[in-house]
Amino acid sequence: MKQLTEITTPFGEVASAKTLPGSELGWLQQLRDKARAQFERHGLPAKKVEDWKYTSLWALSQQGFSHDAKAVSLDKTELSHVAALEDAYRFVIVDGRFSAELSELEGLEEGLSIKPLVDGLEGAQTMLGEQIDVEKPGLNAINTMLMHEGMVLQVQAGKTINKPVELLVISTAENQKLASHLRNLIQLEADAEVTLLEHYVSLADTEGFTDVVTEVKLAEKATLNHFKLQHESLAHYHIATLASKQAAGSHWHTNNISLGGKLARNDIHSQLLGEEAHVTMDGLYLVTGDQHVDNHTRIDHAVPNTTSDEVYKGVLDGNSHAVFNGKVNVHKDAQKTDSSQSNKNLLLSRSCEIDTKPELEIYADDVKCAHGSTVGQIDEQHLFFLRARGLDETAARSLLTYAFAVDVLQRIKSAPMRQALSNVIEKRLPKGA
Amino acid sequence: MLEIKNLHASVEGKEILRGINMTVNPGEVHAIMGPNGAGKSTLSNVLAGREGYEVTQGEVIYKGENLLDLEPEERAQRGVFLAFQYPVEIPGVSNIYLLKAALNAVRKYQGLDEVDAIDFLNLVRDRMKLVKMDEQFLHRNVNEGFSGGEKKRNEILQMAVLEPALAILDETDSGLDIDALRVVAEGVNALRAEDRSIVMITHYQRLLDHIVPDFVHVLSEGKIVKSGDKELAKELEKSGYSWVHDAPEGQTA
Ligand SMILES: Nc1ncnc2c1ncn2[C@@H]1O[C@H](COP(=O)(O)OP(=O)(O)O)[C@@H](O)[C@H]1O
Ligand SMILES: [Mg+2]
Repeated sequence: MKQLTEITTPFGEVASAKTLPGSELGWLQQLRDKARAQFERHGLPAKKVEDWKYTSLWALSQQGFSHDAKAVSLDKTELSHVAALEDAYRFVIVDGRFSAELSELEGLEEGLSIKPLVDGLEGAQTMLGEQIDVEKPGLNAINTMLMHEGMVLQVQAGKTINKPVELLVISTAENQKLASHLRNLIQLEADAEVTLLEHYVSLADTEGFTDVVTEVKLAEKATLNHFKLQHESLAHYHIATLASKQAAGSHWHTNNISLGGKLARNDIHSQLLGEEAHVTMDGLYLVTGDQHVDNHTRIDHAVPNTTSDEVYKGVLDGNSHAVFNGKVNVHKDAQKTDSSQSNKNLLLSRSCEIDTKPELEIYADDVKCAHGSTVGQIDEQHLFFLRARGLDETAARSLLTYAFAVDVLQRIKSAPMRQALSNVIEKRLPKGA
Repeated sequence: MLEIKNLHASVEGKEILRGINMTVNPGEVHAIMGPNGAGKSTLSNVLAGREGYEVTQGEVIYKGENLLDLEPEERAQRGVFLAFQYPVEIPGVSNIYLLKAALNAVRKYQGLDEVDAIDFLNLVRDRMKLVKMDEQFLHRNVNEGFSGGEKKRNEILQMAVLEPALAILDETDSGLDIDALRVVAEGVNALRAEDRSIVMITHYQRLLDHIVPDFVHVLSEGKIVKSGDKELAKELEKSGYSWVHDAPEGQTA
């Protein structure tokens, strides 16, 4: 395939292939070329593609994003208001560029390594791209072509990292209409454990586009407590893939909170490839106005004796639209699979819309699978009870909304993480105040 | 305290209350008895302001204000408390959070600051003793997984914390065994006060052995067909409710 120096994407951006990290690595060039060929063949997913039935990328493709960001300086005190975790290692990306000054990566615990993508590519050949399917309709191909920044995190065998890691991705008003293509690589060796928060936030009404792929590889008995808080501006586009391969006995606890964005899409995929592997897929989406949020999750129980537990909750207001699609695939020999999935939605307005669909495909016979989805409104009896106890209607409604959502938070084991995420959510759903 | 005048109310076009008259003075305990379907819960729901009940005639004056003009929360803030016949479970809202939010709503109306955290805890602990509830119930979700008796005690706990001027207890005794009944009754008795009125709705006389009322009214088919003192309840126990249907219109003691 001929080597182009410029890449044109449907987002109107032009990037010079030479300036992308890893241009000297042959295997990476091949990967990028393959992705480009893939993208040129298929383009953006059309609405007739089942997985994109409810989410159109047309508006996104009309935005004319730019790829080049001017350097932005933020001061550290400003950053402290934005960060979710107080006591954490912090990897900060501002307008698509890693900021060493704003990051807190001094004195990492033994066994923990955190690097920007450009420094982590060397030796990533067996990791990068392994967890995702570039052919899948979506943005994996574009991300592979254009990825230019991200975090590479590794934990050595047997190490439990005590402090959590916050990957803080900030969009500022200094670079409007900026597209960032981020790739994070998270690799835990056997028996390693770490807690990670991916935190995406805007400092103003940014109209940017965050395209991010996070790949996770968990060796035997590794545990990753993996949180995501997407809190970008209501004019922002956010499209993400989060994909893992899990070896025997590994645990991947995910919790995906979507509050922001004009359009937010998450494709979350776990492949349970070793016995006793477990995944928790939790999520909460709170949308209002014209927001659109789409969570597609998929769990592959590929071998016997694996477990999954999934609770997604949504609160919709205004004219918002939410989509939940939860696939659980129990492969032919995956006996003794234990899988439970639920998606519950609370509609606060008449003009919001939810499309929820659990999809179970079971090819083994000795399995336990439970799933269900509900769509409801505030219970009038509950509302009357609270009002009869003196709470005004607004306070009663917001308390009941908070109460609906709270069990996703209660399922978070780490108290500081639970507190940090509750604080953000309480701002959106005042606890009956 | 409370004056109900010729109150008519209907549900879904069906008239349920058909001209209730009743005056409750400060400090008095009134019992309203009557067969199932007489309209006892309808009366308490109308007083508390539940939606779906249409008042077609009459009025209710509470402390000089027209009660029926107020929103449910405004009634609660002014000291009207309804202990529900069927308390609802509220997942995700802890008991302690509810108690605090409810108390602060009343305090706000009274022009007081939010309750101090320590004072609040002391108050709640004290009132829990009154209804013999264990402190673990504070951190459980409101009524979630509570037994029938625990739910009723929880209602009385809320009453004890909120110290209402007018408490309406809708069949707080039903579904309780004799020990639980005694606990609830002791709780209510401890809350009897000169400036607090209590309207007790019950189907059975046995509650009135424990909480002795000043007045007893018999409600049947949406009307008070007989009023008297506590002796009336005993009479009812002997003869049952069958006679009330035959009672002449408007007969009162
Ligand atoms: N929400 C309602 N919808 C329809 N009918 C109702 C409703 N509430 C009460 N009723 C009817 O009103 C009558 C009185 O009910 P209720 O007040 O609950 O009686 P009580 O509490 O004395 O047993 C009954 O015939 C009942 O079926
Ligand atoms: Mg009743």
